[in-house]
Order: sequence, then C-alpha cells, then structure tokens
Amino acid sequence: MIMADDVAMTDAGLCDGSIDWLTPENAHVYEGAFSMLCCAVNGAEPVSGVFAIRLFPASFPDSYIALLTDTPGGGTTEVGIIQYLEEFPVEEQALVRSSLARHYHEQVISRVHKVECRNGLLFFDVDTQRGREQFVMRWEYDRAQEYGANGKLLLDVEENRFLITDLAALPAVDKRRFTRHIYW
Amino acid sequence: MAHNGDVHANVPAFVVNAIPGPVREQAVAMGLKDEDCIFSACSDIGLDDGDHDNWVLVTAAGVVTLAAGAGGPPLRGPFGMDQIRKIRLFQAVGSAFLQLEIDGTYVDVAHFSNALRDTFSRLRSHVEQLVEGKPLVDAPGGADSRRCSSCGLPLAGGDESCPRCKGGSGITARSIGLMKPYWKFSLIVFLMLCLRVALSMIPPYLVKVLVDRVLEPRSNVEWLLLFVLGLLAVAVMVMAINVVVGWISSAVGARIGKELREKLHEKLLDLNVKYFDRHPAGGLMSRVLWDVEYFHAFVDQVAGGFLLNVMMVLGIGIMLFYMNWQLALMVMVPIPLVIVGTTLFWKHVYPKYYPVWETQSKMAQHLSGVLSGIRMVKVFGQESRERTRFGETAAKMKSARFALQSSSITFSHIMVFVFGLGGLIIWYYGGRLVLDSRISLGTLMAFFSYVGMFYGPVHALSMFSNWMTGFVSAGRRVFEVLDSDSMLHESPRPAAAPDVQGAIEFRNVTFGYEPHTPVIHDVSFRIEPGQFVGLVGRSGSGKTTLVNLVCRFYDPQEGEVLVDGVNVRDLSRQELRRRVALVLQDPFLFRASIRDNIAYGCTEADPVAVIGAAKAANAHGFISKLPGAYDTKLGEMGAGLSGGERQRVTIARAIARQPQILVLDEATSSVDTEAEFEIQKALARISRNRTTIAIAHRLTTLKNADRILVMDSGSIIERGTHRELLAGHGVYANMVNIQSQLACIGTE
Repeated sequence: MIMADDVAMTDAGLCDGSIDWLTPENAHVYEGAFSMLCCAVNGAEPVSGVFAIRLFPASFPDSYIALLTDTPGGGTTEVGIIQYLEEFPVEEQALVRSSLARHYHEQVISRVHKVECRNGLLFFDVDTQRGREQFVMRWEYDRAQEYGANGKLLLDVEENRFLITDLAALPAVDKRRFTRHIYW
Repeated sequence: MAHNGDVHANVPAFVVNAIPGPVREQAVAMGLKDEDCIFSACSDIGLDDGDHDNWVLVTAAGVVTLAAGAGGPPLRGPFGMDQIRKIRLFQAVGSAFLQLEIDGTYVDVAHFSNALRDTFSRLRSHVEQLVEGKPLVDAPGGADSRRCSSCGLPLAGGDESCPRCKGGSGITARSIGLMKPYWKFSLIVFLMLCLRVALSMIPPYLVKVLVDRVLEPRSNVEWLLLFVLGLLAVAVMVMAINVVVGWISSAVGARIGKELREKLHEKLLDLNVKYFDRHPAGGLMSRVLWDVEYFHAFVDQVAGGFLLNVMMVLGIGIMLFYMNWQLALMVMVPIPLVIVGTTLFWKHVYPKYYPVWETQSKMAQHLSGVLSGIRMVKVFGQESRERTRFGETAAKMKSARFALQSSSITFSHIMVFVFGLGGLIIWYYGGRLVLDSRISLGTLMAFFSYVGMFYGPVHALSMFSNWMTGFVSAGRRVFEVLDSDSMLHESPRPAAAPDVQGAIEFRNVTFGYEPHTPVIHDVSFRIEPGQFVGLVGRSGSGKTTLVNLVCRFYDPQEGEVLVDGVNVRDLSRQELRRRVALVLQDPFLFRASIRDNIAYGCTEADPVAVIGAAKAANAHGFISKLPGAYDTKLGEMGAGLSGGERQRVTIARAIARQPQILVLDEATSSVDTEAEFEIQKALARISRNRTTIAIAHRLTTLKNADRILVMDSGSIIERGTHRELLAGHGVYANMVNIQSQLACIGTE
C-alpha cells in the first residue's frame, strides 16, 4: 500500500534524476526563427526546433507535455516534461498549445448525423469543430480505438483522425447510430 | 509563371497542381519567372493560422512556401538548394510536415493531412534529387499506386482490390454457392421435401372426410380403422423423409463446415505478417471455430427449415383457397402484421448480434492471453485482476446476450399472439358459416388443421429472420478473412530457380511498416555466398526489419531484395523458404515431440537427419538424456526444456532443412553464458559454407564475422570487419568500448 508520504517521496526521487521537469522557474519557451519553438532551460544554450507532445493524450491532455527536439543522427531527444502547463506564463502556454495543435491534427466529433455500412466501409456524416463533414473508414476492429475512459478514436481510409472524446456525451440518437456499427 | 509540365516538357509529370493567380502574382513579385518553377504542391493545412492555401514552389534554385492571396513575404524561404542539407516528411499525429534541414535545424515548409502524404512524399523525393544534383526520376508506380484507380480510395495492401468498387459480397448467395458441388444431394432433398409437403396435405383432408362421412352421420363405421391406418402410414412416411433429409443435410453441412475451415486455415497461412499485426489471434480463432458453425446450421436451415416452410406455406395456402376462399382470406389477415413485425425485428435485432460476437471474440482473446501467459499472471500475483477482467467481459457478454434474447423472445410471443388472433377470426367466421350450413363441420375442422400447419411455418419463417441475422454476421466475418487481399502476391510466372548459392543483395531498399514512415531508407549492400555478416545497431535501428525483408515477410516500398540474383518477389514462396532459415530470440516450439519440432520445416527428414541436425546444434547431448529422448512430447511453447535447450532445438530445426541462408536474430541473447557458449559452438559449426546474417547485441559474438554492418535510424552508417571498424573509431568502436568497460566492471 502506498501512503501519501511515500508518494511525495517517490515524486522527489523522480525529480532528483530520472525526469527533467520543466517549470516556469527553470524553463523559458519562446518563438525563434522560422516560427520555430525554442526552449532555454536553466539559462543554458537555448534549444531550437522544439515541438510538444502529450504523454497522456487521452487521460491528461493538458498535463505531462514533453518537449522534444531533433538530434543530428535523425532521432529525437527530450528537452524535458511540463507537468502543469497552466503554471507557465500565458504567452508561453499559447506557444506550447500551438505546437500541440500542429502536432495533433484531429477532428473532434460533436454530432453523428448518419452512418452507413456498405461493402465493408462505413460512411460517416458528422459535425466536427470544422463544421459538417463526411468521411469513410474501413469497418475493421483496429480502425476504431478506445480513447480514454469513454472515448473512441476513428481512423479514416486516409489515416486521418476523428475523435469522440466521450461517447456518453453524444445525443442518445447519435450514440445509437454510432454503436450500431462501432460496438466494440 | 506557367504550369510546371508546360515549361519542363522533358520533366516527368511530377506533383503538380495548377498554380492559382494570386500565388503566381506573389511568385512574380519575388522575381520568379515562369520557366523557373519545376513543380509545386498545395497543402491542405496552413503553416500559419490564416485561411490561405499554402503552396510549395520548387525551382532549380530553391524552395519557397507562399500563402495564396495573403500578400507580404513568403511563409517560408526562399531556401536555396545549397542551404538545404536534408529534406524529410515528419509524421505527426494525424498529419505530417515537409521539413528542410537548414543550418542544423529542421524547418517546416508545409503542413498537410494524411490524404496528401503520397503527393508530398513524391515532392520530397524530387527535391532530394535536385539537392543531390541527380536527374529527376519519378517514383516507381506513380502517385496513385496505392489508391484505387477508379474511385481514389487508399488501398490497405499493395495489390488489394478496392472494396468500394468490388461491390457487395452477397453473403447468402455465396453461402448457397458453397452447396453447388452437392447439387445432386440438394435435388434429392428438394424432391423429398415436395413429397413431404404433399403427404402433409393428406391428414387434414382425411379428418374432413372422417368427420363428415363417419363421425357426424355415425355411418360407415368400418372406415374408422382404415382412416387411422391411413393417418399412421402418412406419419411413418413423413418421419422416414425427415430422417433421410436430416441425414443428407447434416452430411452436406458437415462437409461444407470442414471445407470452409480448411479454406480459412489455408487463407490464414497465406496472409502476410502485417495482417496478423492488425488482427488479434483470439478473434481469428473465434471465426474459424464458431462462425463456421453457422454455415453448418445454414445448410440445415435451408434444407430442413426454410425450404420446407416455404413449400408448406405455398402448399397449404393453395389447399386453403381450394377448400374455401373466403375463409382462406380470413386466415391471411395476420400476415401483413407478421411482415411488418419481421421487418422491424430485422432492423432492431440485427445490430444486437454484433456485441454478442464481439464479447465472444474478446473472451477468446482474454483466455488465449491469460492461458499462454499463465506464468506471468501467477508470478505477478494478478489472478484477482484477471478474474475481474474476465468477469467484466463475461458481464458484457451476459448483457449482450440478454439484449438479444429478450428481443427475440418478445417478438416470438407477439407473433404467437398475432397468430392466435387469426385462430379467433376463423372460429368466429367459420363457426358462422357452419351454423348457416354453408360449410360442413368436417370442412371447418380440416381448415383448423390446415391453419395450424400454415401458421407454424409462417411463424418459423418470421423467426428465420432472427437466425438469418446471426448467420449474416458470422458469414460477413468469415468472408472478410477469405476475401482479404493482405497477401504478398507471388509472381504468376516465378523466375526459374537459380542455383542455390546464398547470395543476398539489397538495392536501394526503402521500407516502412506504415507506407510513409520508412524504417529503413535507401539501403544497399551485397553479401557473397558463404559469408558471415553481422548486423549491429541500437534497438529500433532497422536490423530486424532488414531480415524480415530477406525472409519476405514484407515487401519493400522502394528498391529490390535479391537472393541469388533474383528479386524475392519473383521467386516462388517455396523456393525462397527452401533457401532461408530463421532463428529468433524467443525460441518457439510447438506442442509436439522433439523429433517433430526438429523436422518441422523438412517433413522428409528421417531419424538420421534429425539426429544429425541436433548434433550440429549441440542439442543431441541433452535430448538423449531425456527419458523419451527424441520422442519426448514438449508442453506449450517448449515447456519442459530450459531456455538454452529450447534455442538449440530451434537451431536444429533451422539447419535440418539445410538452408543456404541462415538468419539469426538475437539467437543467443535470451540464454545464460553457459548456454550461449554451447549455442555459439553450434553456430560456428553450422555457419561454415553457409551465408549467415546474425543480429547481435553482444559484439564479441561477431568478432570473426566476414563483415559487420552498423545500422542507425534505418541506414547503414558503417561497414567493415571487426578490426577495420575498431580502427575507424566510429560508432561500432564506441559500442565495443562500452561493452568492454561493462565487462570489466563485471570482473572487478
């Protein structure tokens, strides 16, 4: 059984070495040349070409954000992890959020108007943050994945991502239309 | 500014979109001339937050990104070709970026959705050619090679046919088609059913005569026994026909089930590795084991259920109208209600079958995972967690089944009630006719007998929709596997088998498990017959992918893999498998005897060959000490042997086939030092005069390799012998140093 004190100890232990936490005190995020995100940590040489990713995109979309940058060998390296983005100055938050928005290109579905199944393909007519759209996905198990506790992530035939963050939040009729075909 | 192809008529039709006026004006304002633009592409996501289309224009001098109609300076660039060190597609989540390496940093020049990955992939390739000063050559296969040529739908496999254009699968028609080879039996069944229906018409008519001629007038009493004997004879004949029809339909159903299972199994063996990456084994097992059962039942239903009921409804309907058309019309009153109810039922119940199947499949997956990993479950003390997980799946199955069956039962009883209404109508209307002496009592009683016989099949037919929905769902799942094109297609005319030598060559091979995310890039090398080549590099550098391509588990997107001078795509699968054997890090053994495991890839291997292979693999010693020796039955995944022993059996299996090419993927990394020593001795022996590719993290095992290829990020960054690479003080030398230091720490 882990007690509250143990948790604090564990966190401290992690901070000591294994995780490079980025906080408003030790890190400064700003926009550099070519609109690239830059990050200066502990007053060291700033790192340019930084991009942000979510470590828990479904369960903690606004926390645990890692900042990465390219290595000369073609890989990536982690600059550090932001645990609570809202602690950063508003303009730095905006830059990180903008980087996240660029990295995660997802349409969030708010209504499901129609779903038709033909020849092993599902034809969707939905509302997203961009307005009403249609897309086609293969009616296959791995094309509709679980997302968080009660969400679904749909991958269309082009591998574009359509997200239902909470199935229970859809109107009942939309949910019925959806689960008639995506029942898993 | 002209459209690209117009100016550069000698340039292949690259990624070109017609450049709109505002972009052209901006380009002209920047001093670009018509003839400068070689090609261009429009992205569908803006780099800035504006609503303007972003255009990437490529000239011989460089690359620039413009926002159409935005005016002002370019969004990015212009970047001169001499400034660009590298160009890449960076795959983000749900979209991708075209990036140029400028002054050591990758700069985004276009952001596009996954729908445009083909377009920008080609653009990247062309810009790369320009940067490297190479002549422009279009990518093989053209831009639309992975899309349906008629509707543009992206295709999952390279040679997959388009599901949208292929049209409906006609599951019922296809299922009936499965009965085609058995048409003679079907004909016999049909004729017997006709006879059965005709016989069924007799008893009610006999009842009518019995009532009207014997019971009511109390005359011709001697006919009573004759009538009863007649009814008995009909009942015996009906029973005999039922038994024979049952036998035939069971025999045909069982055969179809067997053939279908064999077809599915064969198909599963033919499908490429990628298919299994995407489909859980438990789900596929469920299709072979349970879904096929529906086809057996389908034959029973068609022969004994549906067909008989349809014929009964027709036969009795004719009889009813023949006896009294007015009363017959009253019988038909509930029929529209049945049709409406059945249609609603179909719509309502059909989707309820999916969760039942899904939970069934999930339960199979859960059991398969838990039972194969039972040691892990126990060692981590996760019995309770697994119990809860299973309980959750079982609860879902219970809910799904309840939802389905409660609907079925409700519908069934409503139908019984509707038919009951029909009976009441007949009582009322028929009774009036008898009282008015317009029909005899015998006729009314015969009518009731016929009505019972009529509503029975109608009810069964209405419930047939219930059964049919289940069958259609199962049929869809079975045909989905059978129709899958996720296969590495063999050449229709395989190349003549070249002499078995063991040469391997990679020519400009690029491959990614996802088409636009290459795991290895433009890799070229040649291994001469009999050479021992080591592959080293960090995890994820592409080593295993390379050997996957040698074994042709996947086909490269670009370039060629040749074995003995022939592209592996042109070699028959048998021919390739004959030449290549693979030993993996995790030894996989079947639940069979050691002898069967060693002879697995070489069924003609006699005991001498089995012992020879075991001796070569340093496995003979421990096998011969087992009580059952080579006949020892192994448990699941080789249970009963140590890790090192299992690995030696798999090596024996590999060499029993006498392959000319041996691939060792971390073959010694999961065993202890002593076992490794034994395995190393075996490998040294068997790799003599045999082309061997060995992936190893322990670099000492590759010290005597003829050549070592060092991989990083999907490319070969160093190549040479152990000595040459050490002398080069590169990545390999660094890796050796680190391992030497670790070894020193271990001995301190």
